[in-house]
Amino acid sequence: MRMERKTLGLYLHIPFCAQKCAYCDFYSYALGDDGIKKNYVSAMMLQMEDISGACREHVIDTVYFGGGTPSLLPLSQVERLLYSIRHNFKLSKGAEITFEANPGTVNLKYLKGLRKLGINRLSLGMQSANNAELKVLGRIHSVEDFGQTYKDARAAGFNNISVDVMYGLPGQSEASFRRTLEYVAELEPEHISLYCLKIEEGTPFFAMRDTLSLPDDDTEYEMYSNAVEFLSKQGYERYEMSNFARGGNMSRHNLKYWNCEEYIGIGASAHSYFCGERYSVVRNAETYINGLEVLEANIPIISESRMIDMAESMNEYVMLRMRLDEGVNGSEFRARYGVDFWKKFGVYLDEYIPDGFVKKNGENYSFTTKGMFVSNYILSAVLDFSPQDLDIG
Amino acid sequence: MQSEKQKHIRNFSIIAHIDHGKSTLADRILEYTEAVAKRDMEHRILDNMELEKERGITIKSRAVKLDYTAKDGEHYVLNLIDTPGHVDFNYEVSRSLNACDGALLVVDATQGIEAQTLANAYLAADSNLEIVPVINKIDLPSADIERVRGEIEDVIGIPAEGCPAVSAKTGLNIGDVLDKIISDIPAPEGDENAPLKCLIFDSYYDSYLGVVVYVRVMDGKLHAGEKIKLMNTGAEFDVVEVGTMEPFGLSKCEELSAGMVGYITASIKFIGDTRVGDTVTHADNPADEPCEGFKNVLPMVYSGIYPADGARYGDLRDALEKLQLNDAALVFEPETSIALGFGFRCGFLGLLHMEIIEERLEREFNLDLITTAPSVIYEITKRGGEKIRIDNPSNFPTTDEIETAYEPMVKANIITPTEYVGGLMELCQDRRGVFNDMKYIDTERVELHYDLPLNEIIYDFFDALKSRSRGYASLDYELSEYCASKLVKLDFMLNGEVVDALSFIVHEEKAYARARRIAEKLKENIPRQLFEIPIQAAIGSRIIARETVKALRKDVLAKCYGGDITRKKKLLEKQKEGKKKMRQLGSVQVSPEAFMAVLRLDDED
Repeated sequence: MRMERKTLGLYLHIPFCAQKCAYCDFYSYALGDDGIKKNYVSAMMLQMEDISGACREHVIDTVYFGGGTPSLLPLSQVERLLYSIRHNFKLSKGAEITFEANPGTVNLKYLKGLRKLGINRLSLGMQSANNAELKVLGRIHSVEDFGQTYKDARAAGFNNISVDVMYGLPGQSEASFRRTLEYVAELEPEHISLYCLKIEEGTPFFAMRDTLSLPDDDTEYEMYSNAVEFLSKQGYERYEMSNFARGGNMSRHNLKYWNCEEYIGIGASAHSYFCGERYSVVRNAETYINGLEVLEANIPIISESRMIDMAESMNEYVMLRMRLDEGVNGSEFRARYGVDFWKKFGVYLDEYIPDGFVKKNGENYSFTTKGMFVSNYILSAVLDFSPQDLDIG
Repeated sequence: MQSEKQKHIRNFSIIAHIDHGKSTLADRILEYTEAVAKRDMEHRILDNMELEKERGITIKSRAVKLDYTAKDGEHYVLNLIDTPGHVDFNYEVSRSLNACDGALLVVDATQGIEAQTLANAYLAADSNLEIVPVINKIDLPSADIERVRGEIEDVIGIPAEGCPAVSAKTGLNIGDVLDKIISDIPAPEGDENAPLKCLIFDSYYDSYLGVVVYVRVMDGKLHAGEKIKLMNTGAEFDVVEVGTMEPFGLSKCEELSAGMVGYITASIKFIGDTRVGDTVTHADNPADEPCEGFKNVLPMVYSGIYPADGARYGDLRDALEKLQLNDAALVFEPETSIALGFGFRCGFLGLLHMEIIEERLEREFNLDLITTAPSVIYEITKRGGEKIRIDNPSNFPTTDEIETAYEPMVKANIITPTEYVGGLMELCQDRRGVFNDMKYIDTERVELHYDLPLNEIIYDFFDALKSRSRGYASLDYELSEYCASKLVKLDFMLNGEVVDALSFIVHEEKAYARARRIAEKLKENIPRQLFEIPIQAAIGSRIIARETVKALRKDVLAKCYGGDITRKKKLLEKQKEGKKKMRQLGSVQVSPEAFMAVLRLDDED
């Protein structure tokens, strides 16, 4: 019998941007000079070296370069990172290696370079096919820029491309959103991520939220459910609340999050779930670099960490799995936790079946489209993370 | 025939409209008589409660004895008896005044006479007191002493020539006030050898002494060890201690005799046994008649008080019991609401009294409360002749059971600058007021007299009055009588189920507007839920207003990325906590905050 190695996802966070978007609350910042990039990459390499010892039994089967804007890194720095990955970990053959790129920051040559380094999946931030909407969002590119980048990506040999689209934008009409969807569908990318704009505290949008003329909740629901229907007709299956794939090209890396599987995050603000522990790295590039490179300074780079016990893990599992179209399967749940799903959660989810928020198919529980859009309301009633626990660490 | 001792006693009160400087003047008098060093004045002796200081009004009476050497070298005992400054406590004011022989009527030199100035002056006159006007705040640039003097003479009808004009704030001319107290306020009378007769004007509960009773001795003498009887309640006690109220606390003495103001302790456990206005006499040699004017004060306003957290019902009961030790006017009994669970129906002297009790419960006992809309007591004659009193809307009979419904009316007296008369008359009209008359105080100010239903006054009337007069109008009122009225009970239904705690009694003509407004407020404050929630207002089975809370369509975190799931967990947990605090009203969940927002009568419609 052959020993199965445990699989592991690797996330690399590149916090640099050409310009910070007005809605973004990820850890990223507009970069003044290029000096820090090299040091930052060196620090990431050190972090990978530090963690590698704990991953001897694991094989990395997904890698994800996220940001920020990873495509602001020169190819030489991307190469160093990939070298370090291959050097410190066992990278499986056929691993999915995704790279986020923003139009206006890459050209054909750069994309060809990425392809050559072994990157096989590209995630492009389009957001909207309406230039006025792009401008309000603070994006640096036009629809035309995006079209060119997409064409270049195909020319460079990428056959697995994901496109990010947003809705619920300031001043956006249902018709305008529909045109964006039609534009994307026509390009036939393998994958589409569809996000509702959320006004996050601390962003410029938050400060001006009352003047933004955002679509109301009912309109957003219409936009969402119409999009699900439209994309389905175009051959896109909604496999997660906000993610659609054609021809089975789901994001294997992101599925790890929703399946409650293990991953390691490298770089400032990156999150990890490894050996039963969830932890995150400091949200500051300089602290991160100093913490790794100036050993005598003794700066911790882990900002939060907590062990997830079984009770919490079960709740997490349901919370995350219910994002997926397939939902939770009772026997899988029992296999994983040795607990009867119906007794623990299913009985509460049953209440939402008659009004069409939840559907049940044999041992399988999942949200309907309308249920997904009110999933926080339902899950907050069904799940029970004890609050005292969440405040620790 | 006055004794030498009596000739050297002066018993007096200070009365004034709110903010005219009553407490500051009291401070200065204390300071002037050297009862209190200046540095101690920041803690006013007369206003004890924290709330009183914040609101700037005196809620409970207090008294203090001062020693004063007059210009002629004679030593005097001055008993300053403070009075509550709000219409809710009019009865207590009248008893305090009855304990005095004179009153200083403080009038603000910039404001002139206000509604409470008049009301208090009338109360003092009813008690046959010598009224000594004092014009205050003469240090202010807009002070107009002569105009105010004129007003006192014309409107109140007492001579004001040569009355003290002072600044209590700066201490200017305070000596004049003391001179007037000695020269103008009569010394007390009363026969030391007659049977004992003491008027109770205040009492409070002390955990060591039991109830401490403040009295003015009208006739006779009282010593420790004697058996006393309270003439109206009939209760008897053995006196443990008698004494006087010195600036820094109680001071035991041998004897209280006619003309004196002092305290009695007698191991009394319940403050309800020592009602303000009752008469203390000797059990074995009682006075022929009690002091005049005793009334058993009854609550005028009722409201349901519930703990926001149902588990704290017991704490709420303990808190109410503690407050009642010092407040005989507060009544309460357990009540159950389908919507709010276990709580208490509480009776108050008026709106201010209610607000004070609520604030004290929240502040001193750390309780979060849900309170239902205040209600007055209605009297109903049912078909068949049975008469009932209703203090809780839930008990209101159906329309066809009612022969006649009666509601309490008040005589309201409003003083306002002339420019606001139109707006205020409109307000009174709108509140079903019946105009009696209008008097010009001078060219700039008018006195309006209306008969108004009390239930309109407790519905945000005072705030409306202030907002329509930019704060200048003042109001005073007294309960007059019950009048026949077309009253109906308004119910509210959420998802087809009546929420009992929202029901209230209202005049038929007002029902429609009130129903619409509350239905709108409910709509604004009930969070959207997975199903649509119809809101209906009904009189009996007739629906008179509707609104709908639309179903929730969106409550989702679209993005769950980069592996940061802690945020989502925290979000769901917060939501869960919020839901735990919700009150289940039938199939609908409503937060206590939303409930209070609906009941808060804060804007004028």
